Amino acid sequence: MVEAVTSAVCRLQLLLALLAVPSAVFAHRDDQYLQATLVAIEPSSVRLQINLTPGVAVAEQVITLIDRDRDGVISTNEAAAYAESLKRDLMLRIDGRKLELKLTASEFVAPEELRTGSGIIQIEFSATPGSLAAGAHRLTLENRHLTTMSVYLINAVPPRVGSIRITRQKRNDNQSTGEIEFTFRPLHPKIAGSGGQS
Amino acid sequence: MNKKLALVLIVLLGAGLKSFAQTNSTTGTATAGIVAATKNFLATLDDAQRGKVVFDFKDDAQRKRWSNLPTTIFKRQGLHMGDLTQPQRDAVLAVLAAALSPQGYEKILHIVEGDEVLKKSSGQTIFGRDEYYVSFLGQPSTTEPWMIQFGGHHLGLNITLAGEERTLAPSHTGAQPAIYELEGKTVRPLGRETDKAFALLSSLNQAQRKEAILGFQMRDLVLGPGRDGQTIQPEGIKGSDLTEKQRQMLLDLASEWTGIMHEAVAKAKMDEMRKNIAETYFAWSGPTEQGSAAYFRIQGPTVIIEYAPQRLGGDPTKHIHTIYRDPTNDYGVKWWRR
Repeated sequence: MVEAVTSAVCRLQLLLALLAVPSAVFAHRDDQYLQATLVAIEPSSVRLQINLTPGVAVAEQVITLIDRDRDGVISTNEAAAYAESLKRDLMLRIDGRKLELKLTASEFVAPEELRTGSGIIQIEFSATPGSLAAGAHRLTLENRHLTTMSVYLINAVPPRVGSIRITRQKRNDNQSTGEIEFTFRPLHPKIAGSGGQS
Repeated sequence: MNKKLALVLIVLLGAGLKSFAQTNSTTGTATAGIVAATKNFLATLDDAQRGKVVFDFKDDAQRKRWSNLPTTIFKRQGLHMGDLTQPQRDAVLAVLAAALSPQGYEKILHIVEGDEVLKKSSGQTIFGRDEYYVSFLGQPSTTEPWMIQFGGHHLGLNITLAGEERTLAPSHTGAQPAIYELEGKTVRPLGRETDKAFALLSSLNQAQRKEAILGFQMRDLVLGPGRDGQTIQPEGIKGSDLTEKQRQMLLDLASEWTGIMHEAVAKAKMDEMRKNIAETYFAWSGPTEQGSAAYFRIQGPTVIIEYAPQRLGGDPTKHIHTIYRDPTNDYGVKWWRR
């Protein structure tokens, strides 16, 4: 009970502090949801590392989507459900072929931290590209998650293996869609396509 | 900070500071000077304060506890400048003066002073000179690794020392307002960065611009605070595709970050960057007219610098965030992590 009251008081103090500051002066990413995605391409997998940072003014909307039972705690099931909803809004393709994403990791900070505008939700998905032929390929990622409030960043990570080389990156104007052109040159051609070593 | 300290800062920004920093570098014992200044500051504290300001060197949570955000939004630890006495605050500034170059120290003071201007214009006490924190990881030493942290709104200085090796990576600088008046003079804390970047862009021919300019918006830093350990594929024009003069301009632009540190360290970093210049990229996003709000990035094997105007309702040219990283040696890890 005491903890609940303390928490409510803290929230009220934070809210009052934020309301006291004109937004133009406060001037931080308070009304936008920053979705920054790093794309790691390997012969056997594609990994998406997504950092989600809701600004103060939109944090409550995001928390409402996550903390469905409104108990102030993000449970494992609620985290998984939110990750699933994000997954549905992502479209990953290689050479036009849609890849199935699998949730591999997630870390949700507490709602209190999200409300400050500095809390970061980290979610990681992976996909198996299947048989990659030697030569040039194009990966496309489209992010349609909460488009009206979001700001996007999409960047390739430098490949960890020598057989993959990023040749070009393109994005649409707001970076909700990114294209990564890369080449695959298997170091051991016999195992090319098996997602093999490099 | 009161008028008395403002006067002290002005004096330090003049000949006094310059001669102090040069004395350190010419003796070749810059770390010893920084250690002495830090011990001098610690000696001004009582036991409770010392307990709050010195962390274990292995405390990774504290190492990563820095941000661009105001201190009411992102909680720092260490000692709050507003809670220190005037001699203690002077001693903190002396630590920074010993660790940084004169121009680096001036830049930091101008960033802090800008936040004071923001406090006065907004009437909000969450901003201003009092809202900065100082902390240390490890004990000041000329041989063992340790770290100095100083930061608050738009500033996150992380200086790691290991003997005579020192690095500023990762550190955040920013400015809001990015231009203001102080003592009758116009101050632009990040003005040289801005001007040098536009000069470099202007020097590029059409084909070079096509390589350098990214065809999409960059609304924020990619590798800003909270992005430790991450890196991205370089983009933009490669140093090998620049002329010798343009490569010098690129290095000179980067020196606005590397040169924040004491000159001996800055020179070593610049030598390293010069060696890697062919593999260093310059990328630009946004308008190209002089003075407009545009993002740029410098990325080489041992450096990542980003400069991002913030489009958040006000004039983005007056609200800037930057980041300086070394993907091979953030927090000086190669000197101490086994």
